[in-house]
Amino acid sequence: MKLLIVEDEKDLRENIESYFTDEGNICESCNDLKSAIDKVTIYTYDCILLDLGLPDGEGFTLLNYLKANHKNDGVLILSARNSIDDKVKGLNDGADDYLIKPFHLSELKARVESIFRRKTFNGDKILVYDLVNIDLIGREVTANNIPVELTRKEYDLLIYFIANKGKRISRNAIAEHLWGDEIDMADNFDFIYTHIKNLRRKLFDVTKKDYIKSIYGIGYKFL
Amino acid sequence: MKLAYHYNKASIIIAVSVLLIGGLIYYFSIRYIANDQLDRDLTEEIDEVKVYINLHNQLPKQVDFDEDQTTFTKIETKNLPRRFFDTLYYNDKEKIVESGRAVEGSIEFNNSTYKVVISESKEATEYLVQLILLITILLAAILLAVLLITNRLILNGLWNPFYKILHQLKTFDISDRSQLAIKQTKVDEFNELNTALLNMTSKAKSDFQNVKSFTENASHEMMTPLAVVTSKLDTLIQDEDLNAGQLTQITNIYSYINKLSRLNQSLLLLVKIDNNLIKEVDQINLKDTINDKIRQFQELIQGKVLLLTSHLGNKHINASKYLIDILLNNLFSNAVRHNYMGGEIKIILTNKQLIIKNTGEKSALADTQIFERFQRSTHSEGTGMGLTLAKNICTYYQYTISYEYLDDWHVFTIGF
Repeated sequence: MKLLIVEDEKDLRENIESYFTDEGNICESCNDLKSAIDKVTIYTYDCILLDLGLPDGEGFTLLNYLKANHKNDGVLILSARNSIDDKVKGLNDGADDYLIKPFHLSELKARVESIFRRKTFNGDKILVYDLVNIDLIGREVTANNIPVELTRKEYDLLIYFIANKGKRISRNAIAEHLWGDEIDMADNFDFIYTHIKNLRRKLFDVTKKDYIKSIYGIGYKFL
Repeated sequence: MKLAYHYNKASIIIAVSVLLIGGLIYYFSIRYIANDQLDRDLTEEIDEVKVYINLHNQLPKQVDFDEDQTTFTKIETKNLPRRFFDTLYYNDKEKIVESGRAVEGSIEFNNSTYKVVISESKEATEYLVQLILLITILLAAILLAVLLITNRLILNGLWNPFYKILHQLKTFDISDRSQLAIKQTKVDEFNELNTALLNMTSKAKSDFQNVKSFTENASHEMMTPLAVVTSKLDTLIQDEDLNAGQLTQITNIYSYINKLSRLNQSLLLLVKIDNNLIKEVDQINLKDTINDKIRQFQELIQGKVLLLTSHLGNKHINASKYLIDILLNNLFSNAVRHNYMGGEIKIILTNKQLIIKNTGEKSALADTQIFERFQRSTHSEGTGMGLTLAKNICTYYQYTISYEYLDDWHVFTIGF
């Protein structure tokens, strides 16, 4: 994937960059609107991570620029403002998703992958990971050509894990991913444990491989 | 009471009392003058009688003195003092008794003393006095009417700027950015009032805007550093050298970051609700929404082995989907969070109210405090904002929300 990170907070930009670069993704970054516009004029990106509050203007300007120039780059808005108005405006102006700060890098990764898949896969939209095949449209999972029955949450978890393969993911990040913003139950880890246990068992039953590794004290890693 | 009432009251009392006193004085003076005039006539009559007697040496006959009635009576005492008094007068022509004025005095004739009484009709002067009184009353009535009309005109005209500014103040909205629309008037005092109000309201508005944008900015500015901390931790935990103890510490830090950002979101939302910044209105089928919410909380409910029963009637409301979602989330979370393993939750929706009740700690919560900011039970993991948000959302839509502890149930009731 080729990404452009438009974020004026240096530390955040660098952390995002390093989290994504590990896997051979190409990341470019800039800290203001003007250089962002310069970059999108010349290059095409799979996904642009766009902060709304930039020193020289609102991120919406870039969205409008992309639209006016018929550019089809995916855009994920990163905003400190949890405002419905901004969200609606962003999505109407052509953004693909809207993520509110603070967010976990694993969540960001999962969202970016999702945008990337939507933008690039054209045919039957099959996500393959090792022995696991996922039909993204029918939301069906097979492993070793044997169908695996997953609940909605287990399916979500699997996609989330694959997007963050090889990374350690905290339980907090998983809880926030599963419960979303609205329900203030992110401290409740018992349910995560149950879901992960079930997902792990279901995958193990057909592949005889243990994909999920527990990391004591913090969370999990998908291998 | 209205300004017009006070205005009219004062002017009527003053006008009526002045007219009343004036009228009385007027009446008595006229009467006095009229009597005086009559008395002078009567004195002349007596003098004429004396002249007649000296000239003709006999007592005059009645007819000699046209309208006046004269009687002579022989008396013993000499020098009867002259005296004027009110009496009755018999009008021969019209055969009626009228009020009259009489004088008595004594005259010497043929070495004897006669008392002479001359009475005269007062009808003419009475009539005059009555006429004058009538005119006075009429004038008073006209004056009162004129006063009332002028008062009304003055109130409508002169006080018009006052009523205009009053109307604007009544509809004054501190969150509205537009200024008061103030017109120059001819009255200096009103202009001063307008200027003072304009200064005051623009100061209040700008202070309010400052506080609002400060709160918003402060909260927003906090989110980016939190995002940096989170991303740094996400990067940090990738380090294979960290041991389980260190990782557990990081898990704790994550939890506090989460709590901080939720707290921040809640505060921001409270500011928005307080300032009427959430304008969108959707038609919401509350029954469906609650059923969705039950499904959403299914796992949490099962996790605590809670028995949930619901009796949902049909109820449609017009409100922001977003706010109603937050309201239900907070009430549901509350009912689950403060429950014990194997407890119960009951949800009842009628046209009039929504009742959510749950089992839990066997003692009532302090019901005056639970809707206050940052009030939470000692075991609670929440931010202490949930019920405050719920209350503010209810207040925003003019719903009532109340809490009571009844037969070991914690009952929250929303009245529509």
